[in-house]
Amino acid sequence: MPLAARMPHAFWRMIERYIIGAAAEDPGDETPAASRERLKESFPRGATRRMTQLGLLIGSVLKEMSPGEADSIVYATRFAENQALEEYLASFPTPSPTLFQTSIHPSAVQQVLIARQQPVRELFPLTGNLQLGAHALQTALLTPSPRVILCGGEERGTWLREHGSASEDTFTFALALAASPDGAIGRVAWTPGTAVPDGAGLTLRELFDHVRDRRNLGRALAIGGALEVTWR
Amino acid sequence: MTLRLTASGCRTALGDADQTCAELLAGRVALQALPVGGSLGGDRVPLALIGGRELDESAPPAWLPVLDGMVTEIPPDRWGDERHPVYVTSSNFGVGSLHAFQRTQDSAHLAYGTPYLAAEQLRRRFEWGPNVTLLSHACVSAQLGLLAASRRLEAGLADRALIFTYDFISPFVTGGFHALKILNGGFPSPYADRPIGAIGLGDGCGFAVLANGESGPTLLGQSLYNEMHHFTANRPDGAGFEGCLAPLFAAAAGRKLWIKGHGTGTIEAGRLEAETLGRFFPGAPLVAWKGSLGHTLGSCGVVELAVAAAALRGGRIPGTVGSTGPTFTAAVAQASFDNRGFDAVLLASNAFGGAHAACLLAYD
Repeated sequence: MPLAARMPHAFWRMIERYIIGAAAEDPGDETPAASRERLKESFPRGATRRMTQLGLLIGSVLKEMSPGEADSIVYATRFAENQALEEYLASFPTPSPTLFQTSIHPSAVQQVLIARQQPVRELFPLTGNLQLGAHALQTALLTPSPRVILCGGEERGTWLREHGSASEDTFTFALALAASPDGAIGRVAWTPGTAVPDGAGLTLRELFDHVRDRRNLGRALAIGGALEVTWR
Repeated sequence: MTLRLTASGCRTALGDADQTCAELLAGRVALQALPVGGSLGGDRVPLALIGGRELDESAPPAWLPVLDGMVTEIPPDRWGDERHPVYVTSSNFGVGSLHAFQRTQDSAHLAYGTPYLAAEQLRRRFEWGPNVTLLSHACVSAQLGLLAASRRLEAGLADRALIFTYDFISPFVTGGFHALKILNGGFPSPYADRPIGAIGLGDGCGFAVLANGESGPTLLGQSLYNEMHHFTANRPDGAGFEGCLAPLFAAAAGRKLWIKGHGTGTIEAGRLEAETLGRFFPGAPLVAWKGSLGHTLGSCGVVELAVAAAALRGGRIPGTVGSTGPTFTAAVAQASFDNRGFDAVLLASNAFGGAHAACLLAYD
């Protein structure tokens, strides 16, 4: 039997990283065109023409982090590219190749980094719902790179939203996480453990709210263990 | 710590893992020329559908029984609890259902139309607990599941991990690849040096169980790299392929290796992949199976892993079925070969955005 299986759950060790950067975009009802105009200076000239609103807003929060090749990126989004998806579906019976490639799940991060011609070793695009925020934090905490950038968000859909198949709101955020506490503005910790029967989830929107407002978070999870986000 | 592949399985248009391996050894091509738009017609393109399934998405999806059959092969465990995490990976989840909804306005399609809804349907169907992580990175999705699961096991936070992957094609995805002109009338001939490339698409689902210290092939290393050069093209200098392979070079030292490449049938990516693999691992035979099975998209990493595991059990490795004529390198094995004399296999996958993933398995 593996050692881990024999260990009482009390021996589960806490895993932590320090927050060395945080950014959030909460544009409310801003239209994609308005986001494009507001953020165009953040991208190479001409790059924003085909970018989605989610791509633009992910680019905005990643700008402060300046991802490098050695960084790992964990990207979380429940619905991903709502508008490209809607437009791609509408393009049938002559489907658009550009909208097809833009509609894929990790597209927002790829739009940004392709525009900047910035490779990264690891990109973990997650999706989900009630536990998406928790799984994204766990994935980031288990990533061994010296610096991990956790980012995520949604863009408000149109006709798919009316059927519950697209996001109701638009937001993005990013956290830069490091192993060292030097210069930290906060801390993320996961204490693995037994699932709490009445434990909670952590949605992406909830995680975003805590990042935007720099609010502390402590939560026992239905998937086991507890997560903490604390700000200095 | 020794991470091992303790169980694996799959379903392709050729059957389960053992059947798929046997059919590949016999040189059978599962791809058939079918209308790209399903019942709406259109150009005929190479598609490999499981069990005579229609390309059109139905409600509930016609592919659910395929998953039901595969799930019977998964070793029972407390899947989805805190020590037995499940990683569900897919490129499309159930997005084809959104296309069906748009076409028919039947709201029953919406139950599978978003990733989390589709995955929640599966979680309940298979009675998994809540600890189910969803990953979607186009055609490297399954390899990401393997790496995420490995990290949880290495940290001592899991006893076993299940990676569950699926991608069933639909007019949504065939329409997209057809629009990109790589799903055309031609059949794929992976790594063949010819003027025009072509891919085929296929249904696929698979699972892998990873555990620490049990029996099975050993996971020696895993690697990712994301070029971020272009959505649908690789860097012409092959740096992306090198970036993924370099961390595995040391782990492969001293091993007698064969390689299961990505090998979709495109020209430039195929050339870069074959040439880079040849530089890193000279003499290692290179095979790809998408010329028969079609590209099973986000599931391909684990589907082809399961087929490779079946080949190891049977002692013979299927060649690059569907590949004819001169190849980019001499290492491309168009015919099957005996497994004796080899003790490791490298499995590689690529995806949109210049995403690369690979894992290295050793066996005795």
